[in-house]
Amino acid sequence: MSYAPRPVAVVNSAQTLFKPSWADRQHVDLISEAVTGVLKGTGLRIDDVDFVIDSGSDFLDGRSISNCGFLGAMGAHHKEESRVEEDGLWALSYAMNKIASGSASVGLVVAYAKPSELDARSFWCTLLEPFTQRPVGLDHLSAAGLYAHRYLTAAGLKPKDLEVVARHAWEAAVRNPNVDLDEVPSAEPFWHERVASPLHGSDFARPVDGAVAVLLAAADVADQITTRPVRLTGHGSAIDQHFLAAREADALPACAAAARMALGTARATAFDIAEVSATSTVGELMVLEALGLAPRHKALDLYDGGGATAVNPSGGALPADPIMATGLARFHEAAARLAGRSGFAAGEARTALVHGTGGFAMQNHCVVTMEVAA
Amino acid sequence: MTTMATRIQMPYTLTPGEATGVFLAELGRRRLIGSRHGDRILVPAQDFDGSTGEPAEGFVELAPAGRLEAFTVTAQGVLGLVLVDGADVPFLHRIVGFAEADLTIGARVAAVWADEPTGSVLDLAGFGPAGDGPGFKPRIAPDGLAQPFEQVEYTMTLDYQHSYGHYYGTLFDAVRTDRRLRGVKCSQCRRTLLPPRARCDVCFAPTAEWVDVEAVGVVQACSVVHIEFIGQRLKPPYVYAELVLDGTSTRLIHMVGGIDPAEARTAVAPGSRVRAVWSDRRTGSLADIDYFELIPGEPS
Repeated sequence: MSYAPRPVAVVNSAQTLFKPSWADRQHVDLISEAVTGVLKGTGLRIDDVDFVIDSGSDFLDGRSISNCGFLGAMGAHHKEESRVEEDGLWALSYAMNKIASGSASVGLVVAYAKPSELDARSFWCTLLEPFTQRPVGLDHLSAAGLYAHRYLTAAGLKPKDLEVVARHAWEAAVRNPNVDLDEVPSAEPFWHERVASPLHGSDFARPVDGAVAVLLAAADVADQITTRPVRLTGHGSAIDQHFLAAREADALPACAAAARMALGTARATAFDIAEVSATSTVGELMVLEALGLAPRHKALDLYDGGGATAVNPSGGALPADPIMATGLARFHEAAARLAGRSGFAAGEARTALVHGTGGFAMQNHCVVTMEVAA
Repeated sequence: MTTMATRIQMPYTLTPGEATGVFLAELGRRRLIGSRHGDRILVPAQDFDGSTGEPAEGFVELAPAGRLEAFTVTAQGVLGLVLVDGADVPFLHRIVGFAEADLTIGARVAAVWADEPTGSVLDLAGFGPAGDGPGFKPRIAPDGLAQPFEQVEYTMTLDYQHSYGHYYGTLFDAVRTDRRLRGVKCSQCRRTLLPPRARCDVCFAPTAEWVDVEAVGVVQACSVVHIEFIGQRLKPPYVYAELVLDGTSTRLIHMVGGIDPAEARTAVAPGSRVRAVWSDRRTGSLADIDYFELIPGEPS
């Protein structure tokens, strides 16, 4: 029997506003807002959704198997539901596979996080091997600092050179209605106070609360709903080893492996938009290089605005990192632009590459590609 | 009520495995133990090489000195990657005793040992400045290796500030000040949900209308709890019950009290009618209800 995967397309995507603290909302409030939003305007009702795959973290949520308490808010009552303890982009690729296999037609993908309820350092340290890494005081900040020290040394760059990465991100986020941000931070400590040398406050992703929902469907279903359907064209993921010291010094080979799987023979530079995740400015540079958007140690050149690929037109993960939902937020931003839903560059962009990351110090990587159907 | 502070504190007994167990045990004897994987040497010793998957063929002792490959200065101190002489992968540890101006890539460093071993990786306090003194090449199969630590006690503590949001906040305000239970009605199925929420769990339709729920209902299921476990509010034995309050479609987990636990198995059953016994506490949570009691003269 021959097997041909069914084409899969995006029906809609939605998110709550991302803000540093949604102190007056529970997880379920954020989740149900995103899920309500993703159904609106599609003509689909929750009864039309065949399955739900969601992404969140028990550690961040402060309860075990936390999705069990959030099922109603996801519209998952008496549906097939599964949870991924990884960034939402993994949930999306599982949903994509399920529809491609022919076992379902309409899938809802949900990712959420409320990092404001727990301090970020505690969360990241729970991911660490507890015998030799956790006790010495390693955390997400010092891990990024160690990557940055080696990257800047090898690339012949100075810490100040990274400001262009942060400025690009925060300026774009000011224009982005999805991010609670009025202006680029101007406070002296943000740009110049050392957090983990050689990195300053401006070099780190800002954790935010929020939820994202994406509705996927078999392409023949999506084509009846959307005027400008966006097809998923590839996906891949790969994981590096856990011990930071044993990984490559200034590159992300697992990210490169995920990109190879997603791209096949295509080149990353052939995409109109790249929406990538990173927990630091140097992390973002290493991701762009691993994806093939820039030669090694040359990703900084992408920020002069002259490239064929628009890098993080949303602002990316630095101004708004909803930890478990960051990759799915990148997907939402890219899909909305391709479909002409966001009002930004509508109709001009036809192809996008999306990247998500998870684990301690970007151990795990996921890449998804999509294009406007011809 | 807007937020609730909670702490999750979990005791663990961790199992480091042979290689990490030997490594940790030997630090207390001021020896740095690595593992051999083909022609590669890893320190701390590992059971498997994370890059190649090669299992350890044996242990080696390394000179407790090396070269600083990278470092980061943080509010908590300095962390660095030290390539111990003879090792193929750097060791991530604390860098101590350096003036910041002297921190350079390539600096020679040597182990700084803790005064008193406590059985953790911090028996090696970190790496500090060192001269170019002669070390030694990794020694294959060092004599008299310590027995590996089999178990390591560990406690994980996580502090949360959970948001109640509009719906729980409204309920808990009413519980605290008026001893009222407030639910919401689904706009589609018209059932009453307690605790209240924005969307009906079953219909996914928006909820629309606040309703007061009397703290009276019926036992759906119950169990007499005899064992003790972490997080218990009452001392066993007690009756744990799933209740349905009159007019609601949701179940409420609470306790049935005011009865002799020895008789509970026969006295409380599905269908028993119960009502809340409020405590003197006004914390604004469902724990303000001490327990539910059987209603005299009604089915039990």
